[in-house]
Amino acid sequence: MENLFLFISTIRWQDFVDICLNSYILFRFYVLFRGTNVFRVLIGMTVLWFLQRIAISLGLIVTSWVVQGIVAVGAIIIIVVFRNEIRRVLQAKNLKSILWGFSYKSAITPIEIITDSVFEMAQRKCGALIVFPGKEDLSDAVQGGIPWRGLITKEMITSIFWPDNPVHDGAAIVQGDQIRVVGALLPLSHRDDLASHYGTRHRAALGLAETTDALVIVVSEERGDILVAKGNRLREIKQKQTLEENIQQHVGTAALKKGAVKKERLEITAAALLSIVFITGIWFSVSRGQDTLVSLNIPVDYMNRKPGTEIFDTSAKTVSLVLSGSGALVKSITPDQVGVRLDLSKTVIGPNLFSITSENISLPPGIILREVTPSQIEVLIDQTIKKELPVQIDWAGKLPEQLILVDSVTDPATVEVVGGKRILEKIVTLYTEKVLLDNLKGRGELTANLVLNPASLAIAPGFKDKVTIRYLIRNRE
Amino acid sequence: MLMIKCRLYFIFGVIIAIHFLLLLPLNPLKNISCADASQLRLSKGLMCEDIFENAPRNPTIVFSIDQKKAVCFSSFDDVPQKTVIYHNWYHRDVPSAKIRLTLNPPRWSTYSSIQLRRTDIGPWRVEITDENDNVLGVLRFSVTD
Repeated sequence: MENLFLFISTIRWQDFVDICLNSYILFRFYVLFRGTNVFRVLIGMTVLWFLQRIAISLGLIVTSWVVQGIVAVGAIIIIVVFRNEIRRVLQAKNLKSILWGFSYKSAITPIEIITDSVFEMAQRKCGALIVFPGKEDLSDAVQGGIPWRGLITKEMITSIFWPDNPVHDGAAIVQGDQIRVVGALLPLSHRDDLASHYGTRHRAALGLAETTDALVIVVSEERGDILVAKGNRLREIKQKQTLEENIQQHVGTAALKKGAVKKERLEITAAALLSIVFITGIWFSVSRGQDTLVSLNIPVDYMNRKPGTEIFDTSAKTVSLVLSGSGALVKSITPDQVGVRLDLSKTVIGPNLFSITSENISLPPGIILREVTPSQIEVLIDQTIKKELPVQIDWAGKLPEQLILVDSVTDPATVEVVGGKRILEKIVTLYTEKVLLDNLKGRGELTANLVLNPASLAIAPGFKDKVTIRYLIRNRE
Repeated sequence: MLMIKCRLYFIFGVIIAIHFLLLLPLNPLKNISCADASQLRLSKGLMCEDIFENAPRNPTIVFSIDQKKAVCFSSFDDVPQKTVIYHNWYHRDVPSAKIRLTLNPPRWSTYSSIQLRRTDIGPWRVEITDENDNVLGVLRFSVTD
């Protein structure tokens, strides 16, 4: 139980967001691609990925490479092969439907009207070609066609295929309760084993059925036969009921009867839960699966220094922390997430010994402190004082042979510096930055910055960190 | 008898007096140190490239290491008695040399010098002090390429 609380305490809000976000992405993939071949292939890819992980954990190097290669190639294949379906999902739907919309199959295809129309046209020997798309996109297979978008009625179907109608030789594509396209050109089958009395309409029906998952109904103009093409098969239909069953099976209307929507919702809910479980499992395996040790050198931050004091010296500038956690968390550690802080509010002038405990160390959630080196730091606190120091110019470079620098003065001649007593006691001169002689001649004036060494020193208020230098150069005797 | 005693006391007293008179010069430093250092006043102090005929030549505050040497010249107008001063040479505030120089009354000029090497490049100062480390003057200069 204690371990459980410890574990929960190590979960960051980022982990929660991580799981939720990825679960939702997976769930949306399911919603958008369910029933399509893309989804099936994605499931296959996931299985392969798991196989790869297992192969890695078992030490099967070549197998893991092979599976990894297949997954990598498979990802490209999915994009290339299923580009139309992906495009259909991404283009046909608006952003809302992609992000949180649900498309329930609500439009019911009026199968009875279609079968009645087909049998009537067969009786009149009126040729017809009706396409029922499956899950696949037909835009690559079907050429031309005129958008129609008319509700299906018996009169409409018979009028489309009426011999005097300009589009009667093409195929009508049915989607839901609408005829979407008329006069569409279908790819012809190149099979040699077809009966001799089959015409172009039959070859077109079979051609589309072979290349896609669509179901195509053909009504022969010469013989008045009704045939259904699906996959590689071209089957003659004699009875209305058989035709109805074929269409129902293809468009799935049987599932959309009473309670079908409820069942679909249940299916989506289950998918959502499975997505969460799946992603949580992956998160655990990735983020908590492997315990990794890492050693970091972290500089010590000193806080709440008393006014009028400053740090003169410390026994260590950095501490070495040995941290453990999952590989992913350890890799994601950035220096600003780890800190070692010492509170100087209770220090005294002189040496102060601090023990470094977990209270002084801030770590990101999920990371555990294993070891600290050194475990103690001695901080020498000094009193802050002011000291007036003479300024000396640090000349550099070289004057021409005949010239000589006779004199120079700085303004101001002395500058007050603030710093630790122990430091300032040892400092007797404040030097300027290097001032180059090379281009100087005659009498002149220039400015130079003062160099504060060590950097803990500061120029006292009221003084500038620059001085004016006046110089005099003459000819050598 | 009394006369003999008086002569002996006189001789003894003379011997002691001579002895003291002889002893005092045995420690000349002590003699010089008797001078009141606070009375010493540096009338002239400068850095120069060389000394020519007891006078500084080419006073400067920057020495190229090609010059080979730097000279610190100091002159005192009012030297009450024989005394000692020091030229304390510092390179970046680190003591480099302490040269002891003797001054003689009534006026005295003296100098010290250092040989320049490549490692001497940087800011220097010479503190002129008396025997009691009272700073009589500070001269600042630089050694450059």
